[in-house]
Amino acid sequence: MELIFKLNGEEVRLSQVPGEESLLTLLRERLGLTGTKEGCGVGECGACSVLLDGKVVNSCLTAAWQAAGREVTTIEGLAGDEDLHPVQRAFVEAGAVQCGFCTPGMILAAKSLLDQNPDPDEEVIKNALAGNLCRCTGYHDIIRAVRRAGKLLRGETS
Amino acid sequence: MSSFIIARDLPEALEIMGRGEARIIAGGTDLMIHLRQARLSSRQAPPVILDVSRLPELQRLEPGAPRPFVGAGVTFHRLESDPEVARHLPLLAQAASMVGSLQVRQTGTIGGNVANASPAADGMTALTALGARAEIASLKGYRECSIEELVTAPNKTTLAPGEIILGFTVEEAPPAGQVFAKVGRRQAVSVARLNLAISLDPQLGDPRIALGACFPSPRRLRDVEKLIRQGEPGRQLWQAAGQQAAQHFTDVCGWRSSAVYKAPAVTRVTERALERAWQALGGAA
Repeated sequence: MELIFKLNGEEVRLSQVPGEESLLTLLRERLGLTGTKEGCGVGECGACSVLLDGKVVNSCLTAAWQAAGREVTTIEGLAGDEDLHPVQRAFVEAGAVQCGFCTPGMILAAKSLLDQNPDPDEEVIKNALAGNLCRCTGYHDIIRAVRRAGKLLRGETS
Repeated sequence: MSSFIIARDLPEALEIMGRGEARIIAGGTDLMIHLRQARLSSRQAPPVILDVSRLPELQRLEPGAPRPFVGAGVTFHRLESDPEVARHLPLLAQAASMVGSLQVRQTGTIGGNVANASPAADGMTALTALGARAEIASLKGYRECSIEELVTAPNKTTLAPGEIILGFTVEEAPPAGQVFAKVGRRQAVSVARLNLAISLDPQLGDPRIALGACFPSPRRLRDVEKLIRQGEPGRQLWQAAGQQAAQHFTDVCGWRSSAVYKAPAVTRVTERALERAWQALGGAA
C-alpha cells in the first residue's frame, strides 16, 4: 500500500511506511524536512507542530498514515520563493526568535489561529499557544509577534 | 512493523477487530505514546493498527436529542466549540476545553479518552457524572454499560477483544446545573491531579458528583449525592458536601503523603463547584 498525501502543496507517494511510524519521523527522517523539531516526543512541548488540513497537531502524536488523503503543512511550506510568510516576518521583526527550536511550532500554531481568527486578543493568543513551550526567555515577544502578524495579514501595517 | 488500515465502514472495522490482533487508533494522542514507549523498550508493535477516526458512526454528535449521543470519534475541540454541546451538555464542553493543548484537543477523542482509561481522563469523569452509557459493538452484536462498569482500574477496561466503543448516550437531557472543575500543576496543558464533575437539578432530586484522577477509576460520590438530596441548598450544604467528599477520598485512598494536600483541595473544589452549579440553575450563591 502506498501512503499518499499532500505536503506543502505537492503530492507525496511513499511505500513501505510502517503503521506505527509517526508523522514526525516520516517528515524528518524519510523526507529530510528537519524544520519540524522533536522536543519531548509525548505531546507536551509543541515543537513538532504541523498543520493537518489547516489544523495544528503534534506530529509526534500523529501516525504518518493518519495523513493519508489529507494536506500537511510544515514550516518549510510557508515562505514563498522570495518572501517570508507574514507570520514568519512578524516573528523576525518582533525579535520573537531566540534559539529558534520552538519557533517552527509557534509559527504554525499562530498561523492556524490567525487563519480562523484574524484579530485575536492576548488571552486568545495565549490559549492558542499554550501547547507550545519556549524555554529560552519567555512569551512576551512571541505574543507581540502574533499580534503584529495579525496586523500584517489584515493589511494594517507593512 | 504494523500494518495500518483505515476502516471504510463499521462492518469492515468490526471484521478486522474480530481477528483479534488489531489495536484501535482514533486521535492517536495516547496510542502514539504507547507505541513510542514500546519501541524504546524493544517491545513489538501490534500487527495491525486500525484507524476508526473516519467512521461516520463514531462522528455522530447529537447533544440536543431526547437521548443525547456523543460519538466516540468526536474530538475534544469539537466538544468545546459546538454550540449545541455548550447548551445541552455544558459539563462535557467545559471538561473538553481543559484537556491538554489545542494540538491535543484537535486530535484526541472522547472515546479514546475512555478506552485508554487513564485515571486522570477529564472526559471520563464528565461522562460518569452525566450517567452516560457506552455503546459498544463487536461481531457478536451490541451492548451497553455505564462508564463505571467499563473502566475498572488504571488503563483497564472491560472491553473484550474485538469490541469498539461507538459512542456514549445520556438517558435523558441532563439538568442545567453542570460544572467541571480541575486541579493540576498549572492552569494550561496539565494532567489532572483532581477532577470533579457535577450535575445538579433545581429540586436537588438527582444530584450527581463524579470525582476523578485521585481514584484508580471513575467514581460517583453517592454518599455526597445522598447528603445533597436531603439538604437545603446553600453555602452550609455545599460546605458539608465538600467535607463529605474529602472524607470519601481519604476512606478510599487512605492518608498517603499527598492526601495532606489533596483532601483540603477536594473539600474546596467540591464546595465551589456546587456553588457554581447552583448559580448556573439561577440560584443565589
